[in-house]
Amino acid sequence: MGIALVEFQRFLRDRSNIFFVFIFPLLLILLLGSQFGANSGRSQVALSGGSGTALESALKVQLEEDGLQVSFAGEETVKQQLGRARIDVGIFISDDDAADYSAGQEADLEVISASQASAQAVLQEVRTSVQTVSTAQLQRSLLQEAGVSAAEATTALERAETSVVPPGLEIVDTDDVSQEFLGLGRFDLGATQQLLLFVFLSSLTGAATLINARRLGVISRVMAAPVTSWQAVAGQALGRFGIAVVQGAYIMVGTAVLFGVQWGDPWLAGLVLAFFCAVSAAAAMVIGSVMDNDSAASGVGVGLGLVLAGLGGSMVPPEFFSDTLQTVSRVTPHRWAYDAFAEIQRHEGTLTDILPQLAVLAGMAVALLTLGSILLRRSLSRAL
Amino acid sequence: MTAASQLQSAPILGVNSLVKRYDNHTVVNDVSFHIEAGETYGLLGPNGAGKTTIISMVAGLIPADSGSVELMGAVMTPTSTRVKGHIGLVPQELAIYPDLTAKENLMFFGRLQGLGGKELRQRTDLVLNLIGLGDRAREQTKKFSGGMKRRLNIGIGLLHRPTLLILDEPTVGVDPQSRNSILESVETLASEGMAVLYTTHYMEEAERLCDRIAIIDQGRIQAEGTRNQLVELTGGVDRIDLRGTGSTSNAATALRQLPGVQQVDSGPSNLLLTVHNGPGLLAPIVAEAGGAGMALTSVEIVRPDLESVFLHLTGKALRD
Repeated sequence: MGIALVEFQRFLRDRSNIFFVFIFPLLLILLLGSQFGANSGRSQVALSGGSGTALESALKVQLEEDGLQVSFAGEETVKQQLGRARIDVGIFISDDDAADYSAGQEADLEVISASQASAQAVLQEVRTSVQTVSTAQLQRSLLQEAGVSAAEATTALERAETSVVPPGLEIVDTDDVSQEFLGLGRFDLGATQQLLLFVFLSSLTGAATLINARRLGVISRVMAAPVTSWQAVAGQALGRFGIAVVQGAYIMVGTAVLFGVQWGDPWLAGLVLAFFCAVSAAAAMVIGSVMDNDSAASGVGVGLGLVLAGLGGSMVPPEFFSDTLQTVSRVTPHRWAYDAFAEIQRHEGTLTDILPQLAVLAGMAVALLTLGSILLRRSLSRAL
Repeated sequence: MTAASQLQSAPILGVNSLVKRYDNHTVVNDVSFHIEAGETYGLLGPNGAGKTTIISMVAGLIPADSGSVELMGAVMTPTSTRVKGHIGLVPQELAIYPDLTAKENLMFFGRLQGLGGKELRQRTDLVLNLIGLGDRAREQTKKFSGGMKRRLNIGIGLLHRPTLLILDEPTVGVDPQSRNSILESVETLASEGMAVLYTTHYMEEAERLCDRIAIIDQGRIQAEGTRNQLVELTGGVDRIDLRGTGSTSNAATALRQLPGVQQVDSGPSNLLLTVHNGPGLLAPIVAEAGGAGMALTSVEIVRPDLESVFLHLTGKALRD
């Protein structure tokens, strides 16, 4: 424990760690979520034109009532957003459309959907919403033609609305991959991936710390004390584990607060994080024991961290992997942690559901720590 | 020899026929020695002689290929954690964390030795004052001078009151003032009854500190004993260094014929003589050299020392 506390103390003394461990990951999650993240779980519709008109107002109210997220922008902007798949559907309201609607006449709206598969489903939702607006306007016109005042017609229609259940539209995606990500927020997936990537990368920098301690002769001195090599490695690993857990917890809390990331059951998510951190810290001890140059170890750590992260689904979601790559990805701790998080975040998984993943991660941690202990003992025979 | 070391007692440390090989190279070859309480034992040898490897085996850092190390009657191996508590290791490297303060370093290593609470705080303060760093206790050690770091390095080894203090070249790279301070500290500790294993390639340090000395070369103990016993191995010969101009080769030929002169090595402007009873032979040597055409500019008698012993035993200088 003494070794672990000193490692933690030394980590906090190095101010450069603050940026790379705490600030940079959140910035990257923000960037990736903004650029590539799925939308916030609600279908995105943009309205263009007809500003301040009754048609625009009625469409906005109905679309939002139907669970769609509505934004406003100019025509060119909306088309750009459609082209970049930032929104699902754009509705373009011309002055004539707005005037016809106000006059109770038929209006032809221009509606464009984006190219992504989900946009077609949103388009159906938009059609339903527009149909509802159209029906309400038609009903209002008919009532007025029958001699009912506009105010009375509106009141009557509102009363009818509360007593009649309107038809709804539920979109069911039959694509497995789409179903897997259904309901995930813009930052949810990216946050999980970046959490695993950064925690592992940061932990591997502990390899350089261990090599540095060996170079300083501190490890020799530690091993000359009444301490076993396993205890020495475990102490160093525990220090890195503590740092990794703090970083991971910080990313989880930070993304939940700042970006609304849903991590699922916090205790289970914390458990997965802890097991993954244990593997990361133990891996750092192996590298720190087998290599003798701290700069080279840092390079290897970053390289290995990125490769494993890529293979383990921290760059491209593993759901998109081929069958072969799916199999290969299971040699990485990232993949097991990713699957555990997916179980918790997307399927409300319980402890029983994630036990297999936790068992594999625990096995990896113990195996790596044991290997690190043997290698550290051997490293004492080598000059640095 | 200190008073404490004169007490009859069982050895604190017994090293028996230690052997260590790396690949096909034997770096420690059949090394045996023992150290008693209050004794300062020196391993004197050039860099690469195998001193640090011997220390690593004694401290349980690496296993021996054969032979054994016994500390207070218990066998020491890399897994003998309980026995290790009797040793205070001061490695050749500055084995301290540069980003921790002196006090934090001491407390960290103290905890590893099983100290804690009030005892740890008291020992830390005591050692800080002993090594003269009481007023710099809260400074990060990266700001320390080389001598201060060396003193802290030694202080860490002393913290838990070890039975055997192992110092591996503790004065390498320090200024003369700090060096003297370190040597005085070792003398004090030995006088208080601590057994000390001291490695060095500085002859002067071994002569000053060590009750007994082992001369190490190429992984073997070439000779062992007190300073005087080792000097006796040279046969009590002195060396006389003659410097001057003129015919050194004629002078060398003439001096080789002189009774009592064992050997004459000739240089371009000097002659190095190995003789019995140098002071007694000085006058005839000077006369003979002058008669052979060598105009002397300086004459120096070098009495036998450990350097001479090393030269005598290995045929090379200690610093080669």
